[in-house]
Amino acid sequence: MSTVTIRSVTKAFGEQKVLSEFSQTFGDGEFITLLGPSGCGKTTMLRMIAGFEKPTSGEILIGDQVVSSDRVFIPPEKRGIGMVFQSYAVWPHMTVAENVAYPLKIRKMPKAEIAAEVARALASVHLSQYADRLPSQLSGGQQQRVALARALVGHPKLLLLDEPLSNLDAKLRESMRFEIKEIQTQLGITVVYVTHDQTEAMAMSDRIILINRGVIQQVGTPQEIYDHPANPFVADFLGKVDFLAGEAEEGRIRISGTDQWIPWHGAERGRVQIAVRPERITLSPDSGDLDGTLESKYYLGDVNDCRVRVGENLIRVIAPPESFASLSRGDSARLTFREFMLFPADERLEDSLKIMT
Amino acid sequence: MDKADKRSILRCHLTLMLLMVLGIGLVLGGLWGNRQYTDAGFTQENAFSVIQNLSDEAGRLYRDGLIPALAASGADSGSLEAASVSLLPGVWKDEERLLSALDGLTGEALKERQLRLLEVTWAVSGPSVKATQRRALAALSEEDMNRLVQGVLAGLSGQDVTLPDPAGSLLEGLDSADRRAMLAQILLTAVNRDGTYITADTVSEFKKAIRTDGGRITGWIWAASGRMNLFTRLLCSAGKSLVLLGALLLLDVALLFIWLLADRNWKLDFKWVAILLIIDFLLTFQVLPMLTLLFRSLFPDGQFSLQAITRLYTNELNLGALVNTLIAATCTMLLGTLIAFPLAWLVGRTNLYGRKLFRLLFILSYMVPPYVGAMAWLRLLNPNVGDLNLLLRSLFGLGDTPGPLNVYSLPGLIWVLTTFYYPYAFITISRAMEKMDPTLEEASRIAGASPLTTVMKITLPMTTPSLIAGALLVFISAASCYGIPSIIGVPGRVHTVTTRIIDYVGRGSDGMNDAMGLGLFLMALAILILLLSDGIVARKQYITVSGKSTRPNIVDLRGWRRPLTALVTLFALIVIVIPFATILVTSLKTDLGKSLFAPGNFTLGQWRLILSRAEVLDCLKNSLIFAAVAATVGILIAVVMSYMLHRTRIRGRKLSDFLITLGSSTPSVVIALSLILSMRGDYGIDIYQTAWIIIIAYLIKYLMMGMRTVVSAMSQIHASLEECSQIAGASWTRTMLRITGPLISPSVAAGWFLIFIPCFYELSMTTLLYANGTKTIGFELYEYWSFTSQPVACALAFAILLFVVILNFVLNRLTKGEFSI
Repeated sequence: MSTVTIRSVTKAFGEQKVLSEFSQTFGDGEFITLLGPSGCGKTTMLRMIAGFEKPTSGEILIGDQVVSSDRVFIPPEKRGIGMVFQSYAVWPHMTVAENVAYPLKIRKMPKAEIAAEVARALASVHLSQYADRLPSQLSGGQQQRVALARALVGHPKLLLLDEPLSNLDAKLRESMRFEIKEIQTQLGITVVYVTHDQTEAMAMSDRIILINRGVIQQVGTPQEIYDHPANPFVADFLGKVDFLAGEAEEGRIRISGTDQWIPWHGAERGRVQIAVRPERITLSPDSGDLDGTLESKYYLGDVNDCRVRVGENLIRVIAPPESFASLSRGDSARLTFREFMLFPADERLEDSLKIMT
Repeated sequence: MDKADKRSILRCHLTLMLLMVLGIGLVLGGLWGNRQYTDAGFTQENAFSVIQNLSDEAGRLYRDGLIPALAASGADSGSLEAASVSLLPGVWKDEERLLSALDGLTGEALKERQLRLLEVTWAVSGPSVKATQRRALAALSEEDMNRLVQGVLAGLSGQDVTLPDPAGSLLEGLDSADRRAMLAQILLTAVNRDGTYITADTVSEFKKAIRTDGGRITGWIWAASGRMNLFTRLLCSAGKSLVLLGALLLLDVALLFIWLLADRNWKLDFKWVAILLIIDFLLTFQVLPMLTLLFRSLFPDGQFSLQAITRLYTNELNLGALVNTLIAATCTMLLGTLIAFPLAWLVGRTNLYGRKLFRLLFILSYMVPPYVGAMAWLRLLNPNVGDLNLLLRSLFGLGDTPGPLNVYSLPGLIWVLTTFYYPYAFITISRAMEKMDPTLEEASRIAGASPLTTVMKITLPMTTPSLIAGALLVFISAASCYGIPSIIGVPGRVHTVTTRIIDYVGRGSDGMNDAMGLGLFLMALAILILLLSDGIVARKQYITVSGKSTRPNIVDLRGWRRPLTALVTLFALIVIVIPFATILVTSLKTDLGKSLFAPGNFTLGQWRLILSRAEVLDCLKNSLIFAAVAATVGILIAVVMSYMLHRTRIRGRKLSDFLITLGSSTPSVVIALSLILSMRGDYGIDIYQTAWIIIIAYLIKYLMMGMRTVVSAMSQIHASLEECSQIAGASWTRTMLRITGPLISPSVAAGWFLIFIPCFYELSMTTLLYANGTKTIGFELYEYWSFTSQPVACALAFAILLFVVILNFVLNRLTKGEFSI
């Protein structure tokens, strides 16, 4: 078990700055997710923790040990970390057992102990019967488990996972998600997990660090971030959200471009941005704050997905079954925002939503 | 199955049937023609063309000249006829055969035949009217001419006449048969007033064609009877070519039939034509010659015998050469790979100083003609005057004895072979390392392995297949190299199989058989290596596809960075810089024994010579043309093949791919030998001693170089890019022009140069195939080195080197840095 301390780490490749002034401390046994769109710098951060990249400035500590700073640099093999790569990186010229045994062989562990540890690691990922196969004879999901077993076999204090599930299909991804989480809880190790998949992040993390353009946007538990996004980017990246321009006044906010209001009891005045999540709107044929037209409805099984036009805005709504059944396209519908978030109007939403590539 | 389907199947069957009939027809026709030609006793197939020409001209002469003249003169045509018939038996020994040519003819037809016979006879074997006299006769006035014709006709019918000069003087001293023959010639000359008669060239060709007796009579008869029409002439004079063509066509139809049968899809596709053309080309110019070589050496006199082979392989000199070749190739392989792997790793995967420069240098030496390196090392390590030896002697006070190093030895040969062939392994291994997913190594590092352990346990085993493939490539290249042993081995009496082969070829036709026998060894070795390397690469190829594009994993050498850079620099200095500098310096010296800076020893004379001498420039022109033609044809084949390999499931694509690979791994000397054997007309193709035989040899050897580039580019273009264009409504042609073409064009350019460059400086095959007028720059250089002047050869070598470097630079620019060699 180990903490990770990152102190104002900046990383630039040539002129291009990919991370700036990154500072965080990951607690013992914590499951941390670095989340963000592709190119945001999350993988670079992970590779710096692993020791594959050197920070341009700043320092990184694992436990109490400085592993990377201006003066010190500890190469990856001396950091005692486990890591799973997106491409699995399972060595094709070794069998499954040889792959898993490798880290122990490097440590010159006695053969009998290696065999026992390998067996245990393979059992924990349900691959015992595949020990003597070559990776080319395994499916993607199985290869992924080999990579996981190999990362865990040496009982690392810290486990790094670089988008480990992105090459798997949806069903397998979901089950692997829980398996990884379970192993982490059992072993109590610190995990740093990199992903661009918000569902993955929500499901597994103790804390999420949301990064965009090399800058931390928000740090918090999944719930904190989902319920109280620090800015429109966070609100938009995590979960679904629609933005509406409005003007706040005493007791109510007018939706721009319409003569409709929603109730409001906060302190903000003037031009604002309303951010509202579809599952926090009530749709009804006859009662509600806003009047709109049902533009489309989709039955998705677990949810009823509707889009309602209010003035210029198209608002996405998860409808209750009875309203969904009674309304058809083109009907007028009424909306009530049970909960919503307000952001200052001057924030350049369009800009910040753009994903840096 | 609906009607349209049935119709298309029917059409397909019909087409195949027609092609088959055509093929059978060609074979039978060719065989018939060939038999005619053999039966007639001719030694040359083109005799029939000559006979055809002659009979045409004789017919024309009779029709346009004689008939009108006779009519105008009012002479007695009966007496002329009698005179002709009485003349003929005197000329031919074989009367019966001759007279049978006149059987059943009467009137005008008989007369025409007789006159034609006369014409042909006197054209070939009578006393001749000289050109000046003929011109004098032609200058006569209309009136004089009529008189002359009257006189001649009278003379021919037996009267004693006196002709006016110049005709009169021609008849002086001739009697009976000869007199009448001369009269006939004068007549024919006279009636043919434009003076063309039958041209001297035609006559001499005809004489050559019918040198044998049997042939002569057949030829006369054929010429006189005008029996040859264009079709017969074609069949007879191109019999063997037609048989070859027909056989190929039949083979193609058979292949096509088998493929279609296997596919159960009776639809004809234009693509078949392309693939079959390529296969035909390879069969004719590669497989057939190889089989000939094999057959001729195992069946020396048409009967199976190992006697010649046994004698050849127990000959002490040959045995020594065999052992030398094997030792040299094995040592070169081991040494080369031992150098190449660490170099490839240091240059490709570490933070060595100046990696890019080193990489460029090592890869560039791949493109240097082998003999240039040999020449350089000869200058450096000559036991008496080698610069390096002189230096070592003065450093260690060894006095004036020869040595300490001697390039004229087996170790010397191995060293030079290694310095030239290690880049082959270097490039193969580098490519594998570049393709390897770097996270495989990162996973090892994170598992606790040091960079060195990672190299030994992950990088090395992962690249093993390429390592072995590279090593085998070095082995076979070293074993079949001629340029280096010819320059180093021969003077030092270190013979190799290739130098022995060329030696034997130099001894004429007997030596040719021995050369073939030795060639067998190289061929067997090459096939063995090909199978071995194919097996290894196919069985153990670890293709690892990484999910995202990854930066290559650079290992920090830390404390080792400086010492290792120094080591690599030293290596580059010894292997590249010093040899090439030696070449340059030598090319600027007047006296080889003195220092460049000795007074008066610096000269540009050699350079001026090579840049101004017509012979050198002619060779340069030849090299440029041959290489450009080979590269252009080669790249066309490469593009078609790469399309077939990656975009179609057409059958036969694997076969042609295999043949091309086989061709490129066949030793140059063997390719040249087999072409000499089979392209001298025995199979209906006679291109011996022409530029074509050289170009075809180049193509077979180097086509692969260009094809590999284009094929790998094509494999990287996902088919969806083309499909997307077609979905968007673009036709196939448009898709090729707008999407595929631009995407592969850099590789096509690169492939062109990759074929062009080795063809440009080729030596081994050219040595065997050149003729006057088809010498190349590589051969010219070799001649200068061996017989004339080493400094001139060095100037030429350095010029070639510069040219290759410049080409490489152009290529790099042209493809925006994507490709260089």
